[in-house]
Amino acid sequence: MAQLFRPEANARFRVGIIVALPAAIGAVGVVFAYNHSDSAWDVGQTVSQPIPFRHDIHAGQLGVDCRYCHNSVERASFAGMPSAQTCMTCHSQVLAGASVLEPVRTSLALDQPIIWNSIHQLPSYARFHHGIHVSKGVACETCHGEVWTMAQTRKVETMSMGWCLDCHRNPAPYLRPPEAVHAIGWTPDNPAELINLLKAYNIATERLTNCSTCHY
Amino acid sequence: MMNNRDTEFWAKVNARLAGENGPQLWRSLEELAGTPEAQRLMEAEFPDLARPDLVDRRTLLRVMAASLALAGCNPSHPPLYSRPEGVPGHLRGRSIYFATTLELGGYGRGVVVDTHDGRPIRIDGNPLHPASLGAMDVFGQAEILSLYDPDRSRSPLENGLERDWETVKLFLASVRADLLGSRGRGVHILSEPLTSPTTIMLAEAVRTAYPEVAWHEYSPILDDYERVGAAMAFGRPVETVLDLTRADVVLSLGANLFLETPGHIRYAADFTARKRQGWETGGRPRLYVAETSPSITGASATERIILHPSEFEPFARAVLAHLTGQIRAEASHPAVAAVALALQAGSRGLVAVGRSQTPVVHAIAHAINAALGAPGQTLRYIDPISPWQKPRVESLIELTEAIAAGSVSHLLILGGNPAYDAPAGLNFGDMIRRVPLSFHLSTHFDETSVACRWHLPRRHPLESWGDLRAFDGTVGLRQPTTMPLVDALTPDELLGALATGTVPDGRELVRSYWRTRWADGFEDRWLKVLETGVVPGTASEPLDLRLREDWDPGPTPTPNPAGVTVTFTADPSVWDGRFANNGWLQELPRPLTKIVWGNAALIAPVTAEALGFEAGDIAELRAGELTLRAPVWPHPGQAPGTVTLQLGYGRWAAGRVGNLVGFNAYSLRPAQQPWAVDGVQIASTGEKQRLISTQNHHWIDGNEIIRTTSERDLAVTREAADLPSLYPEYPYVSYAWAMAIDLDACIGCNACVIACQSENNIPVIGPDEAARGRIMHWLRVDRYYSGEPSDPETYFQPVPCMHCEKAPCEVVCPVNATVHSSEGLNDMVYNRCIGTRTCSNNCPYKVRRFNWFDYSGGELNTVTAQANPEVTIRPRGVMEKCTYCVQRISSARIEARLENRLIRDGEVETACQSACPTRAIIFGDSNDPTTLVSRLRESPRNYALLGELNTQPRTTYLARVESSGSPVSPRPVNVEGE
Repeated sequence: MAQLFRPEANARFRVGIIVALPAAIGAVGVVFAYNHSDSAWDVGQTVSQPIPFRHDIHAGQLGVDCRYCHNSVERASFAGMPSAQTCMTCHSQVLAGASVLEPVRTSLALDQPIIWNSIHQLPSYARFHHGIHVSKGVACETCHGEVWTMAQTRKVETMSMGWCLDCHRNPAPYLRPPEAVHAIGWTPDNPAELINLLKAYNIATERLTNCSTCHY
Repeated sequence: MMNNRDTEFWAKVNARLAGENGPQLWRSLEELAGTPEAQRLMEAEFPDLARPDLVDRRTLLRVMAASLALAGCNPSHPPLYSRPEGVPGHLRGRSIYFATTLELGGYGRGVVVDTHDGRPIRIDGNPLHPASLGAMDVFGQAEILSLYDPDRSRSPLENGLERDWETVKLFLASVRADLLGSRGRGVHILSEPLTSPTTIMLAEAVRTAYPEVAWHEYSPILDDYERVGAAMAFGRPVETVLDLTRADVVLSLGANLFLETPGHIRYAADFTARKRQGWETGGRPRLYVAETSPSITGASATERIILHPSEFEPFARAVLAHLTGQIRAEASHPAVAAVALALQAGSRGLVAVGRSQTPVVHAIAHAINAALGAPGQTLRYIDPISPWQKPRVESLIELTEAIAAGSVSHLLILGGNPAYDAPAGLNFGDMIRRVPLSFHLSTHFDETSVACRWHLPRRHPLESWGDLRAFDGTVGLRQPTTMPLVDALTPDELLGALATGTVPDGRELVRSYWRTRWADGFEDRWLKVLETGVVPGTASEPLDLRLREDWDPGPTPTPNPAGVTVTFTADPSVWDGRFANNGWLQELPRPLTKIVWGNAALIAPVTAEALGFEAGDIAELRAGELTLRAPVWPHPGQAPGTVTLQLGYGRWAAGRVGNLVGFNAYSLRPAQQPWAVDGVQIASTGEKQRLISTQNHHWIDGNEIIRTTSERDLAVTREAADLPSLYPEYPYVSYAWAMAIDLDACIGCNACVIACQSENNIPVIGPDEAARGRIMHWLRVDRYYSGEPSDPETYFQPVPCMHCEKAPCEVVCPVNATVHSSEGLNDMVYNRCIGTRTCSNNCPYKVRRFNWFDYSGGELNTVTAQANPEVTIRPRGVMEKCTYCVQRISSARIEARLENRLIRDGEVETACQSACPTRAIIFGDSNDPTTLVSRLRESPRNYALLGELNTQPRTTYLARVESSGSPVSPRPVNVEGE
């Protein structure tokens, strides 16, 4: 009976292993690297908006508090978007006729909402409540970055599950005392003392990593 | 005509019962017969996994499309909305609650509607309303799905062609011109019985403006007999309101107190409250239920008495004779003496009568109540809620005759569906077609709309203004809970348009009525009533009535024709047919038969055996000229020689869900005998039809599934506390959630099942999938029988996830998609689940449900607007189960944490708990010994389902307490507040 394989089959197999295995490992590596890269999570991305709103002017130069516009951030899951009326408290006086503010005036005149484009989206099976985070010492800046410097708002963190868990597993380093939650650019005087905040906020760490804390 | 298979089946049932080793509890006659089918269902977790049906091409494409959609990208920039103006006090994502009133059979039940961002998503009872006390029945809760029904009529139609509202206004103006010209002669209005003060005011205005208008009222769930009976006894119409918190002994003559009476939610609550109170005061109440077909009220009874429809009058007479000694009664039923003795025994008693009983039975019951001194004690008489007293059937016959005589020029039908639900023989649909100008106001383009020239869309109650009276007369306000989803009219607006010529604003109509009633402070009172939903002080005054001397017309001769007697009942799911297009209700296992997606002719097992019928055999029923073909269902506890048919099925213009489901029992219903027809011929056709019943699905196997105790000794046997286990131990530093379900309080009404479905976005899967045992309900109510099929004891057991401390599902999941939480919950993580179904295979309670297809995206679940945004919608291939309403726990925890406190006992109510009329389900923290659930877990009645498996479930049951026939004094000790 004739041989099934010719002599060069061994060589071909060896070459195949040498070429294919690194290629496979490389492919996995590329996918892995991409999934951990910022671009996979849209970090740094900006989106065009119906109104060229500038956080750097409002929150940075003018020092408007986050809560002036995002007024349900301490109580509700949704941080809140300002109503057109809220914009007009100032803009009926300041830049009253500016063409960039046309959508605000139209909204009030026609009783139609202004539709912005969100840059943060969690999947539908993940639940997030702004109120509980803010009231337990997680600052706006911790997740949203230095918004007061942004001419165009952009995402600064991946908001991946791993990123959430970094804090849920060990919250202390990410906490601030209540008076510093809405502060701009706060740094702890003594990072070692942050651990005391866990007790002050009565944070039950064992519950933070339950699946049903965020998924239901 | 009996075939061999049938003979063998019944022989096996009888042999099994005769033998000593029959099971104590049984779920179905198939189980008693030990059929291979029953065995297969018990052994397999997914009985139909082994025989997949061929998937057709379209289904395959749909499934593939669904997978592609899942794999596709989510939009990375979802919209964020800035409102034009802020709404004070409203935070987006938080619920806003509206108190409003829903109607069933003309009577109002107060509800609270939970709306999210303008969308109503859930309906609960209004705690301030006397008819609901915070609980809600299946019909009320399912209205939320009807609101979003995609089959709702969207535009006015003339002869089936769309018309705009301008044309409708011209049309209404022409009708008004005709009315003015003829003072209403030739114009007939047919409405459902009017019980709304505002509507009655408008109707009177129309009748005053056009004095010759003829007004007819009709509803297929007729209470004519009750009216005539009251007139016999008192010479005037009255309605009876029971106070079951005060009654020690209750005799029901065919009254399904907990499901079909106008005050059913309240009655169930009151009776259970009285039972609980029983431990402290003079013993538990006794409930005697005489009935033809088993009802949930009968299942809760101390004693059920099976009576043929013709036996009710002699039975009632005999009871009266025992009580007064005035009237002679011959050949009394063996139970009479015991019932009379109980009623007499120095306790407060009452007799309640069902609407299907003849007028004489009603009159006799009034006499018994008078003899017992019940009026003023345990019941009160009030003026009828519906003021127009003409018997409805008579009114409809008059209308039919007028049409036949050609004297009807205009027929205006306000709501209802008479072309479908009028008694057969009137041919009402054809009669409507003879009227030159007919129109129908209804939410759907239904059977009556098809027969009419004009159809106008009607607003859903959740989009309407109005008011309604409850069973005790209390007025509840109705207000819109959403912007109208469809441009439509309410009956009030239509009547206003006929009276005044312009379509008025519904809100102004209600306000104008109440302005005449409230002299001062109108705006304040109006706002208060909008907030509470109830107009205070509007309950009817009790009437002081004396029985007429000549109330008794003498015994009715008992007819004894050949054949069977057919009785009709409102269906526990679709009522009179109005809920036929509601998927939740169609797929809700009926309380006793557990049939879904259809109805059946219920007959006694012994009658089935004699006639050679098995479940699903199609019988032909013939009553005079009327015939009906219906599949037979041998129903344990049914009176021999009777057939009970549920109304409300066999519709052909209900919509995509309800069309051609079941058979139309109205087609056998004569106008003269609307509730019971004697002398019906029944014959086999030799054909079979699939009847889908879930009674053998999710079959659990173990010892003492239902436990009972006696009033003298409450203790149940318990498993040893410290059985060894290989499962890990979990420490609990804060909450440890637990649930206790009181089987003594559960009446099997299914309110919890719909509440769960509504709260947790549980999809409807349709009849074919349901037949495969795949119904997705996270909470099911198991029904067990014990004893002889002719007169069994019936038990109900709601089964949600047990959240086992030693959970067999957790350890077998290969991807950790079901895990133990630090608060004892058995978390289900949808985004991890890969669908191996191993967890379900390992669950002894069979409470896990698998998404075999994309049910939530399927054609029966098109309504995403209704979905609860707090609960993830599960895709295909994912396991799901009861979560103890973890979203409610989570939001309560966040509220408590924001206020720096612990969650209070009772702050987290699961959906099933909040809907339960009898408060049979209690949820709370078992780590705190002071909570109600902790105290109940210490009760001697507490036991774990399948406790011998040592799964240590967090859901435990309180054993049902079996009452003996005669009242016994309670145990001297007070047991944990029972």
